[in-house]
Amino acid sequence: MSRKRHRLVPEAFGQKRRREGGDVEADPLRGESGSARAAVAELVRLFPRVLFEDALPPIALRSQVYSLVPDRTVADRQLRKNSPILENKISLHRSVQSTADHLTLTPFFSLSSLWRQKALQEQGEIRIIQLGFDLDAQGIIFTEDYRTRVRVTVQLVNAGVLTVRDAGSWWLAVPGAGRFIKYFVKGRQAVLGMVRKAKYRELLLSELLGRRAPAAARLGLAYHVHDLIGSQLVDCVSTTSGTLLRLPET
Amino acid sequence: MLGFLSARQAGLDDPLRLRRAESTRRVLGLELNKDRDVERIHGSGVNTLDIDPVEGRYMLSGGSDGVIVLYDLENSSRQPYYTCKAVCSVGRSHPDVHKYSVETVQWYPHDTGMFTSSSFDKTLKVWDTNTLQIADVFNFEETVYSHHMSPVATKHCLVAVGTRGPKVQLCDLKSGSCSHILQGHRQEILAVSWSPRYEYILATASADSRTKLWDVRRASGCLITLDQHNGKKSQAVESANTAHNGKVNGLCFTSDGLHLLTVGTDNRMRLWNSSNGENTLVNYGKVYNDSRKGLKFTVSCGCSSEFVFVPYGSTIAIYTVYSGEQITMLKGHYKSVDCCVFQSNFQELYSGSRDCNILAWIPSLYESVPDDEEALVVSS
Repeated sequence: MSRKRHRLVPEAFGQKRRREGGDVEADPLRGESGSARAAVAELVRLFPRVLFEDALPPIALRSQVYSLVPDRTVADRQLRKNSPILENKISLHRSVQSTADHLTLTPFFSLSSLWRQKALQEQGEIRIIQLGFDLDAQGIIFTEDYRTRVRVTVQLVNAGVLTVRDAGSWWLAVPGAGRFIKYFVKGRQAVLGMVRKAKYRELLLSELLGRRAPAAARLGLAYHVHDLIGSQLVDCVSTTSGTLLRLPET
Repeated sequence: MLGFLSARQAGLDDPLRLRRAESTRRVLGLELNKDRDVERIHGSGVNTLDIDPVEGRYMLSGGSDGVIVLYDLENSSRQPYYTCKAVCSVGRSHPDVHKYSVETVQWYPHDTGMFTSSSFDKTLKVWDTNTLQIADVFNFEETVYSHHMSPVATKHCLVAVGTRGPKVQLCDLKSGSCSHILQGHRQEILAVSWSPRYEYILATASADSRTKLWDVRRASGCLITLDQHNGKKSQAVESANTAHNGKVNGLCFTSDGLHLLTVGTDNRMRLWNSSNGENTLVNYGKVYNDSRKGLKFTVSCGCSSEFVFVPYGSTIAIYTVYSGEQITMLKGHYKSVDCCVFQSNFQELYSGSRDCNILAWIPSLYESVPDDEEALVVSS
């Protein structure tokens, strides 16, 4: 009796009483809830490092984070706060606008590892004076002080680590990201094609993940499915047999 | 529910709290109902709807064939099954009917004796409701996409008109002529809206991706141009200072006037702080929008967390305004939905679409919820 009364007040805001606890079996991909940081860590684990032989840092996409963290505004807010500048290791967000497809990607990586590869350590520390978050290309703007040597910046630009954004500010770039983009675009089309070819243009998530990955999807099925869900290229419908991915009618 | 009632009775809670809780519960339960219907008069798509702000009883609708129909929404029969009948209409046989499609209709904000309608035939007509005659006509050089009259104005009777030209025209109803032109946009103006909080603040949305806030008393230009990047993008790029990455199709102030919602053809909806023009960065996800002219969407009024009802293809999507969460999609129309209005007294939503139908979405009746298994186990 007392248990019922406690529930009446919040029930006024929801039409149907929600049943507590595990009635739905944990979906393979949807178990994640909580912070964007945990989501990024999870996605970084999904990234196939062997494919690029460590030439590229692990890249996770913002749309994938949306698939793991259901509330987009909260995910955005956490991602924005999530760029601490630590001593030697800087983890930050950055994005690339692919001309072919108007994707927005947000790779998360540690800059120091990249710099080590480019053998620029001997130039000494570059002091990052100001890091800003640019919403549109969603990149980090790196503006520097006159005190920092111009020569070093020119070398960084030549190495491909920095790209010019405006006078006095640069984007931090991922050199060699072209290969990733190529695999990503092809893989996305391939996985979307799998859903499109299914009968009634819908597929159960578990069935999709159980299928053999097409040759074009080299980054892994789970990686691409997260991206498709988060960028709303497929509608996620929860059914009694699990999550169903359906192509939107529009 | 009973908790709210007893708290109100005992004076523990503000009376408004029960009202807002019940309004929210009703909005969360909106659905099509077999008992409510709107009479089908239009022979072509319904472009615009407006419910009178005084009583919430009469609804105007404007169609693509230039027809304007007036409906009575009140249920005066004693039966639960009720069709909203058309009281009168400006049909094709009327001598003053619009030649082309009616894009916007709006009731006079202070009583139902007058309404205004604007159309692709480059006119804005002011109608007397009781005689259904034209009281005044404003002619423009370009087709009119949208017009709006301020709901709170007491010191002026200006109607803001957005046309295919880049200038926003302000027409004075008292004098019968265009009094003002606001310059600043570069392409056609797709939507205009006065602020419900300040009678001189106007927001306009244009196909050049910009949304501007104006104070009409100021001669020198707009107050703020809304910038989706909040000033963080490089000013050298051409897309700086844009509200969307495509045309800005629709504008709606929240009922307290503190925030402004815009939708654009980049399939995004953005929430802005209307006092400083800052993008609040609430993420609604993909709000599908392929409308080439204005999209008329609406915000709920009187709920504890406000909801926005946006036409999304052939459905209507409901989002919470401040958190961006999608509540549900209302499916029922056969073709794309063009407009929707919210009746805040009864928490009903009316939507008009290209399939010539106006659908009424009613809060579902309270159905008894099945008992918990746990309670049964405990009692047995």
